[in-house]
Amino acid sequence: MGFQQLSRRWQTGIQVIQSNGITYNVYGDPQGKERPWPMDPIPLIIAEEEWVFIERAIAQRAQLLDSLLRDLYGPQELIHENRYPPALLYGNPHFPRPAAGIVPRGGVFLHAYAADLARSPDGRWWVITDRTQSPSGMGYALENRLVSARVLPNVFSQYQVRQLGRYFDAQRNGLLATAANGRSSPRMVLLTPGPNNETYFEHAFQAKYWGLPLVEGADLTVRDNRVYLKTLAGLDPVDLILRRLDDSYCDPLELRSDSLLGVPGLMQAVRSGTVTLANAVGSGLMETPAQMAFLPGLCQRLLGEELLMPSVATWWCGQDAPLRYVLDHLEEVVIKPAFARLGHHPYFPASMPDGERRELAHRIQAEPEQFVAQEQVALSSAPVRTDTGLVPRHVSLRVFAAWDGQGYTVMPGGLTRVSTADQSLVVTMQQGGGSKDTWVLGSADEHVSPSRPMNVEVDARRNQGDLPSRVADNLYWLGRYTERVEGGVRLVRVLLPGLSGEEDFGRSASLDTCIRLLTGLYLLPPESPKLSLAQQRWQVQRLLTDMVYDPARISGLGWNLKQIRRLSWRLKERLSADTWRVLQELETEFARTPPAVPEQPPFAEMNLLDHAIFTLSAFAGLLMENMTRGHGWRFLDIGRRIERALQMVELLRSGIAQAPADLDPYLEMLLQIADSSITYRTRYLTTLRAGLVLDLLLADEGNPRSVAFQLSRLQKHVEHLPERDETERYPLEQRLVLKALASVRLARLDDLALRESAGQLGDLERLLKQLRTDLTELSEALTAKFLSHLTPSRLSGSAWD
Amino acid sequence: MLYRARHVTRYVYESPVSHSLNEVRLTPRVLDYQQLHESAIRVEPEPASFQFRKDYFGNDVTTFSVFETHDRLTTTATSIVEVQAEPATIEPAVTWEEARNEIANHTGPGCLEALEFVFDSPFVTTTPELLEFAAPTFTPRRPLIDAVKELSHRIYTEFHYQPKSTSIEMPMIEAFRLKTGVCQDFAHIMIGTLRSLHLAARYVSGYLRSGTKYQGAEASHAWVSVFVPSRGWQAFDPTNDVLPSGNHLTLAWGRDYGDVTPVKGVAIGGGGHTVEVEVEVRPLAR
Repeated sequence: MGFQQLSRRWQTGIQVIQSNGITYNVYGDPQGKERPWPMDPIPLIIAEEEWVFIERAIAQRAQLLDSLLRDLYGPQELIHENRYPPALLYGNPHFPRPAAGIVPRGGVFLHAYAADLARSPDGRWWVITDRTQSPSGMGYALENRLVSARVLPNVFSQYQVRQLGRYFDAQRNGLLATAANGRSSPRMVLLTPGPNNETYFEHAFQAKYWGLPLVEGADLTVRDNRVYLKTLAGLDPVDLILRRLDDSYCDPLELRSDSLLGVPGLMQAVRSGTVTLANAVGSGLMETPAQMAFLPGLCQRLLGEELLMPSVATWWCGQDAPLRYVLDHLEEVVIKPAFARLGHHPYFPASMPDGERRELAHRIQAEPEQFVAQEQVALSSAPVRTDTGLVPRHVSLRVFAAWDGQGYTVMPGGLTRVSTADQSLVVTMQQGGGSKDTWVLGSADEHVSPSRPMNVEVDARRNQGDLPSRVADNLYWLGRYTERVEGGVRLVRVLLPGLSGEEDFGRSASLDTCIRLLTGLYLLPPESPKLSLAQQRWQVQRLLTDMVYDPARISGLGWNLKQIRRLSWRLKERLSADTWRVLQELETEFARTPPAVPEQPPFAEMNLLDHAIFTLSAFAGLLMENMTRGHGWRFLDIGRRIERALQMVELLRSGIAQAPADLDPYLEMLLQIADSSITYRTRYLTTLRAGLVLDLLLADEGNPRSVAFQLSRLQKHVEHLPERDETERYPLEQRLVLKALASVRLARLDDLALRESAGQLGDLERLLKQLRTDLTELSEALTAKFLSHLTPSRLSGSAWD
Repeated sequence: MLYRARHVTRYVYESPVSHSLNEVRLTPRVLDYQQLHESAIRVEPEPASFQFRKDYFGNDVTTFSVFETHDRLTTTATSIVEVQAEPATIEPAVTWEEARNEIANHTGPGCLEALEFVFDSPFVTTTPELLEFAAPTFTPRRPLIDAVKELSHRIYTEFHYQPKSTSIEMPMIEAFRLKTGVCQDFAHIMIGTLRSLHLAARYVSGYLRSGTKYQGAEASHAWVSVFVPSRGWQAFDPTNDVLPSGNHLTLAWGRDYGDVTPVKGVAIGGGGHTVEVEVEVRPLAR
């Protein structure tokens, strides 16, 4: 395949990455939260024999680190035998004392392990770093595979590339076996620090892949040493927490108290053996770079084997001989902190000015146990596609191992990472490097032992009520914002033609009608109807343009879309790929820049708005259609119904109850906004009468845009929500809906349309006002009962004199 | 001397708390020179569960959770403790350099355990400033005990003791620069100075007998214990410039305040809160 052909094919890859929403958050990136995952189309290819060695070496290393954790958090025999320097443990900021003495339920410390490997130009493999807290990258590795298999399908099948799926099954089996530990239908959750984390995409991905609830600390609670998930139906016990949260954040009571990301009381639950944390709290200790110097001896002692793959040559300065070596060979090594610290960059003494190098030497001598020196591995290169052609770049390979219930299974593949600049040896996603798929060649099935049968019973049909409250809350608001955007688009679309400049616009939206309706909806200031025609036109124009384009305007479409985006991101593991694609399209549509001459009426936007209605309908349709009819779907629809009812109540208030005596243009406009003109005309021919319009838009339970329709749907929904208190005959939310529905059903529409002596529609106004209050109270009642989240705070009870 | 110690902690919340989890270290340790006759912890409102365990440093820890909605929480710890004067120090001739080397090589008895207390910990980070501060006192070949006594004395005289002048959020080095603080600052500064010389020093939390001339008698108190090879741990109270001897009740020890916080917790809901603490330590007639 030539370069041209590859570049053409790669367009598909870029589209897949965008529409799948594969992103990585880079701290301090001006572009904002997420940016597309950087990937190169040419895979790194590893031969079969080479892989057999890597596989054995990585499984061995995972086993070794797991055994090491068991000793250091237990009897510390290795310290007493002088095989592990006490300073590396006692002086290590990653040795949380509350974790000492805990043997994890199930006995495994390390469920997931990753290592960054380097291949020197002579083909030898080295371990550069160990990742043991909550290793990231396996989700990205799988996504890279999906992309490359689509871009290079022929090459892929021709080469016999080993599949990744079995690895994820093996890991799931291992987790399930541990979680079960004698229980049937164990409950597992994936604990994330939240959507701002740099690998949130992967958390959502993993949760979706394994069908686990994605939870944040506030979704869990500890009672009587047992961890529970807060769901709509109440508290659901949790047996295993797959965590993507760092060690020190897991429990604000016993670990770092300045962060409330974790679950208070979690350590005590782990200690009493009712729940497993994977990986165990404290496993970050194994990421200590200085430890690498001692692994060969520890491997002999703990496993009775030679360490198969060497670590990059490491000298810990806390011992005399290595310290002397490092000071004598400073220009040949890289200097790093002995204990892993985020944000600490390595020093390259070879490229330092003499003064700085001397200063570094002094610092090492002052605190030798704080420094480690490593050999600078010459990384091998691989070709990378750039816009001008293929260039060589340094690569490193992240490989993964998972506990499968009996041993460690290694993923046949991995995440290949590419350095940013031509010569750079720094290979990290956090600083914006790239990635590649990794193809391990071989006849897949020969090397994978047949998938072990799972001995754990899984309850396929869980109670519907197991939806986490926070997810229900997000779905509820997603429903509301989606409806709000749609309502906004419909409003703007009907009002725009009123700006055509033709004063006599028949019975459709004239400027004056526009102004009064918008003033009634509080979108324009109350004095607007008294302004001059030119001023009025300018005002409406300005408002409509802002609503379409200004992302900071709260009633605007851009702002509401941003909320939809935020909520969808939080719900990522629950949305289908299609839903995600449509959302992406919506954003692109509204991401255009406003017209250069804002004085021009924004007619050009009509096309945009028309199209937006399609896209919105597609989004709403996919949301509703692809969701099983459980409580999640119910809360999404409750959100839509409440919002739509509220909007209609407001339109009726501004467009009928508070409108001037000559109602016709308003009625016409309301019917258009509500997409009900045709229904009205088929039913009543052409005479516009307020009573009939009220019937259609307020009371007709068959019209999907009427208030009554929303209320009758809401009534069905609230009847099906989980019971919290058996003694309550009609819970508050049911009473509120019943009351609102009854008031609409019992209303005498013709009377409501009659004007009082002062020319006002007082009864109608009162009814609408009451409906608005009922709907708002309904929203509050649902939130208080099902969706509310109290925030934790820390107590410090120590006063000192 | 026999004492009755009573320690009351009362939180008052701005808005009701739906539940709270707490961890306290309020049970005095049993030592060669300290016996525990009685100890009880009462909580109002009644917790749904109480639990007891020993932490990594051997301190008694009590945890409890309250699940009913409450707007105040009162913890009362009462103990009856007998304390003897610690054995008079036979000043061993070990110099501070010898002590440092012996701990580093961890050959002697207790040295490995002492190594836990040589390194930086979350509340105590050593800096070159502390090393400079130590220099005039830790002169070559000076006996360890002698030098530590002088260090304690210098902190007592060169630093200004001022109640409520610092909070636990303030880093130790700030208090060092301000030359002002309360007992836990003085303890942290002394520990940091000793650790900058690679000596082993731990943080002790406890009480002082009430009604004495000492500073810190009406609340929680904190002091320092230093490892002396072939003798063991020797306590120093830099806030009062004394060697604790019969008037200090030991609750718990660790690397710093964070390991032995007497009372801490997490409340769900509640907004802000205020806290009142009362400590009273009275001699009991036999």
